[in-house]
Order: sequence, then C-alpha cells, then structure tokens
Amino acid sequence: MPGMRVYVIVWIGLLVIVAAEVAATYAHFTVGAQLAVLLALAVLEAGIALLYFMHLKYERPSLFWSLIPALVVVLVLMDHFWPDAVRLLHQRLPAP
Amino acid sequence: MGESVMSIEASPYGIPSKKLGMWLFIIADASTFGAMLFAYGYLRVANPGWSRPFVFWPTIANGIVMTVVLLTSSLTMVGAVLAAQAGRKAASLRWMSVTMLLGVVFAALHLREWLAMIGEGWRLFQNPLGGPVQFGATFFGITGLHLLHVVSGVVAIGVIGLGFRRGRFDAAHVETTALYWHFVDLVWMFVFPLVYLMNVR
Repeated sequence: MPGMRVYVIVWIGLLVIVAAEVAATYAHFTVGAQLAVLLALAVLEAGIALLYFMHLKYERPSLFWSLIPALVVVLVLMDHFWPDAVRLLHQRLPAP
Repeated sequence: MGESVMSIEASPYGIPSKKLGMWLFIIADASTFGAMLFAYGYLRVANPGWSRPFVFWPTIANGIVMTVVLLTSSLTMVGAVLAAQAGRKAASLRWMSVTMLLGVVFAALHLREWLAMIGEGWRLFQNPLGGPVQFGATFFGITGLHLLHVVSGVVAIGVIGLGFRRGRFDAAHVETTALYWHFVDLVWMFVFPLVYLMNVR
C-alpha cells in the first residue's frame, strides 16, 4: 500500500480533472460534445478513485475482473435502450 | 469436521468477507445510480425545451466547493485507513472525525442549495421556468439519493469510529467503511457533471 504522499498526488490530480470539467462546460461545445467530454473526464476520475482510493490496484486481479465487467455490462445494457428516448419524440400526439 | 474444513478454506479474492460484501453492495448500488442517471438522460432527451437553470454563481460555484469538500474527505478517509493499519488509533480517529466534518459540510451546502431552489419555486413536479416538470423530479431524486448516502456514510463512520476506539472494531472495519465513503465520492463524480454542469444556462 502506498504512503500518504501518493494519495495527495492522486487527490491533486482529481481536482485538476474537476477544473477541466468546469472549463469544458464553458468552452461553448455543442451539447453532444459537452456530454462526451464530461463523461470521458468523469470515467477517468472514477477510474483513478477506484484504483487508488478504493485500492483496486493493490487487490488481486480476480477481484477487478469479477466486479467491474459485470457493472459495465449492466450499464451498457441500460444504454442499449437509450435510443428509445429519441423514438419517443416521434410518438407524440399532435396538440388538439 | 465440517467446521475444520470451513476454517481452512481460503478467501477466493484474498480479502475478508466483509470487504467482499461491501464490494458487492457497491456494484449493486452503482447500478441503481446508473439506472437513475440513464432515466434522467432519457427524460431529458424525450422533453424538448429541457430547462437549463444553473448559472456559475451561486449554483456551479457551490457545486465546485461541494466537489472539493467530498474529494478532500476521501483523502482524509485514506488517512484514517493508513493510520488504523499502522496501529495509530488516535490518528485514525482524528482522520475519521475530519472526514465526518467534511461530510456534514457537504450536506449543509447541499441543503442550502436545495432551500434556495425551493424558494425559487422548484418542486418535485413544479418548474418555475415553465419547462418540463421532470427537471425537479430527476434533480431532487438523484441528488436526494446521493445526499442520503452521504448522511448514512457520516453515521457509519461515526459508529465504526466509536467501536474502533473501544476495541470492538479493527482496521479492516475502518477500511471497509472507507470503501463505502469513496463510493459516495465516486457517484458524485458523475452527478456533478451530468446533473449540474450539463444544465448550465
């Protein structure tokens, strides 16, 4: 297990990612690009927290492979139904 | 006979069963938050004219402070775990106290923001801007569930800290509780950009 110095560096790195997220918010991207950038930064931030703060980096690889792919599959399956949100737009009844 | 066989069976992941139990809870809870965030995205896309009410001051600035507070609380909780594992009980308890204090600060900032929004007319099914009413339902629903996790975490750290001081709990209990606290921080890493930053005016 690393010492406190490593965790302070990780903490500073996470703060930098938060700053990048706020900067990206005001960078006048399109909504789609903004969502993609913010999601990518959030996944990076969560990955660092998982590996260091939650010590997944220092556990047996079997723990990682038993837990994380299962969660990813669940989230991807949820995402699979995402296009329904767009389909709903075309199912609206005209206003009376 | 059965008991002796049980006692020599190795843990499949080399971790205590309570830690594995916490990991399984975290994965299940992450799916719950994932479902709520997907539902929020679904409603947002399906409702043209979605309200984007947040401005930098005070909402986003408040959100940045809340994020820094929660990230810092994760660092102090790591300090509690390292101290507990090194046998420095007093230092570990101090780190846990600071973590709890930061959790309370986060909750107070959150409630202050909620009260300001309620004062502006935001409700679970009421939008003072005239846009889709689902904004209030998703915003208060997602942030409320997260806030409930923060408050539960503060209580859990307090209970484990007291037991640790009395010798009832050990460093492994502190580490397992820290896992939960880091997860609460991890959820916020998605809530802040998706629910706050994506709704900047």
